[in-house]
Amino acid sequence: MGCCETKCAGDITDITPEQWAKVDEIIAGYQGQRGVLIPCLHEIQQIVGYLPIEVQERVAAGLDIPVADVYSVITFYALFTTKPKGKHKVGVCLGTACYVRGGDKILEKVEGALGIKAGDTTPDRLFSIQVMRCIGACGLGPVMTVDDDIYARIKPDRVPEVLKKYS
Amino acid sequence: MDLVRAHVLVCGGAACVSSGCKAVREALEAEIAARGIEREIKVVVTGCMGPCDLGPIMVVYPEGVFYKKLTPDDAREIVDEHLVKGRIVKRLLYTEPGTAEVVETQEAMTFFSRQERIALRNTGVIDPLNIDEYIARDGYAALGKALTEMKPEEIVDTLKRAGLRGRGGAGFPTGIKWDLTRKAEGSPKYVVCNADEGDPGAFMDRSILEGDPHTLLEAMAIAGYTVGANQGYIYVRAEYPLAVAHLEHAIRQAREYGLLGANIFGTGFDFDIDLRVGAGAFVCGEETALLASVESRRGEPRPRPPYPAASGLWGQPTLINNVETYANIAPIILRGAEWFSSIGTEKSKGTKVFALAGKINNTGLVEVPMGTALGDIIFDLGGGIPGGKKFKAAQTGGPSGGCIPAQFLNTLIDYESLKELGTMMGSGGLIVMDEDTCMVDLAKFFMQFIQDESCGKCAPCRIGTKRMLEILDRITKGQGREGDIELLIELGEHIRTTAMCGLGQSAPNPVMSTIRYFRDEYEAHIRNKKCPASSCAALFNSPCQNSCPAGVDVPRYIALIKQRRFDEAVDLIRATNPFPAICGRVCDHPCESKCRRGTFDEPVAIKSLKRFAADWEIKNKHQYRADFAPPSGKCVAIVGAGPAGLSAAHYLALFGHKVTVFEALPVAGGMLTVGIPEYRLPRDIMEFEIEAIRKAGVDIRLNSRVGVDVTLDQLKTEYDAVFVSVGAHNSAAMGVPGEDLEGVLPAVEFLRDAALGRLVKVGRNVAVVGGGNAAIDAARTALRLGAKEVHIVYRRLRSDMPADPAEIEAAIEEGIQVHYLTAPTRLIGADGKVTQMECVRMRLGDFDKSGRRRPVPVEASRTIVDVDTVIAAIGQSVDTSFAGKPADGQEALLMTKSGLVITDPDTMQTNVPGVFAGGDCVTGPATVIAAIGAGRQVALEIDKFVGGAAWQHADVDVERVLVGTPIEEQCKRCVMPEMPVPERARNFKEVELGLTEDMAVAEAARCFQCDVREP
Repeated sequence: MGCCETKCAGDITDITPEQWAKVDEIIAGYQGQRGVLIPCLHEIQQIVGYLPIEVQERVAAGLDIPVADVYSVITFYALFTTKPKGKHKVGVCLGTACYVRGGDKILEKVEGALGIKAGDTTPDRLFSIQVMRCIGACGLGPVMTVDDDIYARIKPDRVPEVLKKYS
Repeated sequence: MDLVRAHVLVCGGAACVSSGCKAVREALEAEIAARGIEREIKVVVTGCMGPCDLGPIMVVYPEGVFYKKLTPDDAREIVDEHLVKGRIVKRLLYTEPGTAEVVETQEAMTFFSRQERIALRNTGVIDPLNIDEYIARDGYAALGKALTEMKPEEIVDTLKRAGLRGRGGAGFPTGIKWDLTRKAEGSPKYVVCNADEGDPGAFMDRSILEGDPHTLLEAMAIAGYTVGANQGYIYVRAEYPLAVAHLEHAIRQAREYGLLGANIFGTGFDFDIDLRVGAGAFVCGEETALLASVESRRGEPRPRPPYPAASGLWGQPTLINNVETYANIAPIILRGAEWFSSIGTEKSKGTKVFALAGKINNTGLVEVPMGTALGDIIFDLGGGIPGGKKFKAAQTGGPSGGCIPAQFLNTLIDYESLKELGTMMGSGGLIVMDEDTCMVDLAKFFMQFIQDESCGKCAPCRIGTKRMLEILDRITKGQGREGDIELLIELGEHIRTTAMCGLGQSAPNPVMSTIRYFRDEYEAHIRNKKCPASSCAALFNSPCQNSCPAGVDVPRYIALIKQRRFDEAVDLIRATNPFPAICGRVCDHPCESKCRRGTFDEPVAIKSLKRFAADWEIKNKHQYRADFAPPSGKCVAIVGAGPAGLSAAHYLALFGHKVTVFEALPVAGGMLTVGIPEYRLPRDIMEFEIEAIRKAGVDIRLNSRVGVDVTLDQLKTEYDAVFVSVGAHNSAAMGVPGEDLEGVLPAVEFLRDAALGRLVKVGRNVAVVGGGNAAIDAARTALRLGAKEVHIVYRRLRSDMPADPAEIEAAIEEGIQVHYLTAPTRLIGADGKVTQMECVRMRLGDFDKSGRRRPVPVEASRTIVDVDTVIAAIGQSVDTSFAGKPADGQEALLMTKSGLVITDPDTMQTNVPGVFAGGDCVTGPATVIAAIGAGRQVALEIDKFVGGAAWQHADVDVERVLVGTPIEEQCKRCVMPEMPVPERARNFKEVELGLTEDMAVAEAARCFQCDVREP
C-alpha cells in the first residue's frame, strides 16, 4: 500500500549526492534533542522539495525513532508532501462560478492529457495539477492557470494546445 | 547626530507588502536621496497600521498626515510637495465612506479616533526590527518592574484584579490560569505562546507578531518568572513567514541585550524562548494539539483534564496563552489593574482587537473597548457596506462561532453578549456579509473547512461533520428534503456534546446559528428550490432571472437582442411579464444588482434593453404571439386593475378562463397610471400594454368599486375564483400638528389628481416630506405644475433613501433641493392655510430592526421655513373598504392589524376558500415587478384551483446556448440618453429617450450569459 502514496512518480529517486549530504548534515544538527522532528523535516523539505520514503528512512535512523512515526507526522500536516511538485503547476478553478461553467470538464481534460490525477505530478516532473477554489476571476470562467499565466473561458478542446506550450 | 525634522512611517504589514509597499518605500527613499535631504527625513517601516484595504499606506510626522493607496509614482509628489514645500498632497488623502469628508491626519480618521489601542499600541508605530524603538516606548520596563519590585503572587493578583481574560477564544480568566500553573507541582515548567492563528478572516495575531514581536517576549518572560518556568516556546504557523523572521530577529536582539537568557536584570532569573513553526494544521490551535505539535508529534488533541497547567508539554506544568493576551500583560503591569479594569464591561475588561473582513469598506484591524456596539464597529470604524448593499449578518468566532443578524446591531460586544446570541468572541474575526451572501452556502463553507481540518481522532467530529456537510451540500444543490433542518440540528447537538476537543464541539455552531436566524432561507432552498441570495448556482439559470420576482428569462432575451431577433425577445419577456414597455421604464431592476458582470466592470443595462425590445414592438406594430388555451368555462373576478390584477388577468385569459376586472377608478393601471407621473411613464405606452390585455379577452370594468357597486360576497358566489389586488392607495399621516390645514396634501392623492387631470394647485414654495419614489415623483410633479421652489425633507441620509438613486439624481439635476437629516415637527397656518413648516435636525442614533440607524431629534435645532404647500409621502396603506361587511354566515377576510390581507404564501389563497390575494395589499407598498410576479403566480394557483391544466406546464426546460462571444474586455455599460434639463423640467415629456438599435445590440454583447453552463 504505502508505495503508491510515496513512490508513484516514477520510482526515480532523483536526490543528488549533494542534497543527500545536506540532508545528513541537517539530521546531525538535531541528533540527541527531543521534539525536533518537525523542524528537521521543514529544513529537509526546503532542500529536497519533498519527503519520499528514502528520506523518511534516513531521518528515522538519524533521530533514532521509528519510520512509522516520521510517516505519521508527514501525512498529518498539510505542508509536508511525499510527492514531488512538477516544474509547471497547472491549476483548474472549481469555485462555484467556474464549476457551473464546466470547470470539472476542464479538469477531466487536463487529467486525461497528462495521465495523472489532481494533486499528482507527471513521471517526468514537468507538470503537477492542483484544484483551486475561487481565484476571483468568476466573470471569465472557467479559468485554468499554468504557473502565473491565466487562461480565461477555456474550452476543453483548447487544453492540449495550452499544455503543449509548456512541454 | 542628525536633526530629523520629519518621520515618514511606511506600513510594512503583510497586506501592504502584497499591495506593493516595498516599491513605494524604495521610490520614496530614492526621491529623498535625489534631493539630498536624507539626513532630515527618516523613513521607518512599521508593522501593520490596520486599514489593510487602503495599502500601501504612509503617515508623515510631525503632522501625522495619512496617505493611502500609494504607487511608486506618488513618491516624487509627496517628497516635492509635502517634505520639501510643506504642502499636503490632497489627492492621496483618505475620504470617510459615510460622509465623503476628506481627512488629513491619521488621528482625525474615524477608523483611528474610535479605537483604544492597548494590544496594538506599538504596531504601525515602531520599527519592529529595532529593539531600541520598543524600549523607547516603555518596552521591557514591565519586565524590570516585575523582576525587581513584584513577587509572583502580586503579579497574579494584579492580573486577577485587572480582569484580563484569554483573547484566543473562550475567555478564561488569565490570572487564574497563571495562578494554577504557578501552584502546580513539577519541574521544569514551560510557558507557551499560541500563535497558530488559523480562523479564516482573523489576522490580529499576525499583526502583533510582525509589528511588535518584543511585546510577546517581554510578557512571556514575566509569565516565566510568575509561574516558575525558564523556557518558553512560541508556536507560530508556517503560513506567516514574515512573523517567523521578525520573531527570530527579536529573540536574537533580546538575547544580545540580556533581556532573554541567564540572569536577566541581574536578578538571577533565567529565561529563554525558542520558536516552533507549524506545518499546516488548523487543529493545532487547540491547546492540547498544539502541545503535541511542539513535541513534534501529530497534532491530535487529547481529552482534558488534565489541563496543561497540571500536565502540558512533556507532561510538565505548562502555561499557554495566545498572542493578544500576552500583548496586554506589559501595560497592565506598568499601569496597574485599576486602569485596565476601568475599560470595558462588567465581566469583560479591557479592549478587543477585531479583524474586519468580507463585505465592508475598511477591511483591517481595529481595537476597541469591550462593550462597543457591533453596529458602531461595522458602520463607524468599518465604514459600512460597499456598493450601497444591505448589511445582512456578521460572523464572529470563525468556524467555531456563529452569525449575528441585522436586528442585533445594537449589541454591546463582550464575551457574554456574544454567547447569548449563539456565537462567540473567538479570536476576534468579524466577517461581514451583505444581501448577496447565502447563509446555507456560508454554513457549507465552514463545514467544508472543518471537514478539511478535522484531525480524525474522534468519530463525532470526523463522521458527524461529514454527514452535516453532505446534507448541506444536497440542500444547496436543490435536493434538500423535508426534515433536513431537524436532522442538522439533531446531529449538531450530538457533535456538540460528544466531540473530544473544542474544534469538534464548536464545529456545528455556524450551522446551528444560521438555522436559528435564517431558517426561512434554508426552507426556501428545501421547499421552493430557491436560493434567495442568488448564490447556489444549481438552483437557478442565472442570478438575474433568479432575482426577478416575475422570473423573466433575462439572459435569453438579451441573447435574442444580440442577434437582432427583437420580436422573439419581446415575446419571451411577455411569457412571464405582460408589461415589458412599462417595466423597461419604471422597474427597480433587482436583476442588475445581481448581475455577475457587475463584479467585473458594471452590470448589464437590463432595464434599458427590455425597454428597447418593447419600444421596437410598438414601433413595428409587432403582434404578440401567444397560444390561447381553449375556453375552460370557468370565470374569475379580479378586484383592482393595477399591475398585479392585470398581470393575473392576462395569464388567466391565456389559460382559457373568462376574466372580469373591477376597477374603482375611471382608469386602469392602478398605481402605474395614478402613482407614476407621465414624464417617467407616458400614457400612450400604458394604453398600449393595457389594450393588449383587453384584446386577450379581459373585461375591465372601470368606475366599479367593490364594496359599493358590488360586494365581495356577490363576486364569491358569481365567480369560480376571486383575486383581490387592491393595492395600497391610502396615504399615511405625518402625525404632526397642523396636518389638516389647507395646502397639506397626501402624496398619493396629489399624484392621483395630477394624473387624472383634476385641478391641482401648488404654491410657490413646496415641501415634500419623505424619501421614497412617491416623494421624488411628487416633488418633480410639483415642479412641473409650476412651483418655484421644491424642497424634499428626509429624516435620514441620502444612502438610506428607498427611492431609485437615478430618480434622486434626476430630481437634483432639475433643481429640487433635498434636506437630509431633517424632519417636520409642526405645520403653522394663517386663516386655515399652511404658511410655515417647523423642522428639527436629526442625527442617527442606534439601529432599528432592519439594520438602519434610527433618526433622533437634535435638541434646540428647530428652524422655521416658509411654505405654501406640504406634500406628505411617508407611507401608504391598504384601503380595506372593498371587504365590506360579510353577510350572515359568511367568513370575514383575515387581515393584519395594519390592514394587510393574510394569505398562504404557497397557494396565495386567503382564509376564505376561492378568494386569493396578492400585490401591495398583501405585502405592503412594494415594487411594480413584485406585483407583476404575484399576479402571474396567482394565475397559476387559480388555474390549479379551478381545475385547469396550464399550471402544470409553467416551467419548461429550454436549451441554453452561447451566442457568439461576450465582450471579455472591461467596458462600461451604455448610458441612457435623456432629454436635457431645460427642455424637460417644466413639462411632462418623457425624460429618458431609449437606446438606439446599435446601442442595444452592443450592450447585449456585454452579457456573460451565465445561464449557459456548458462552455
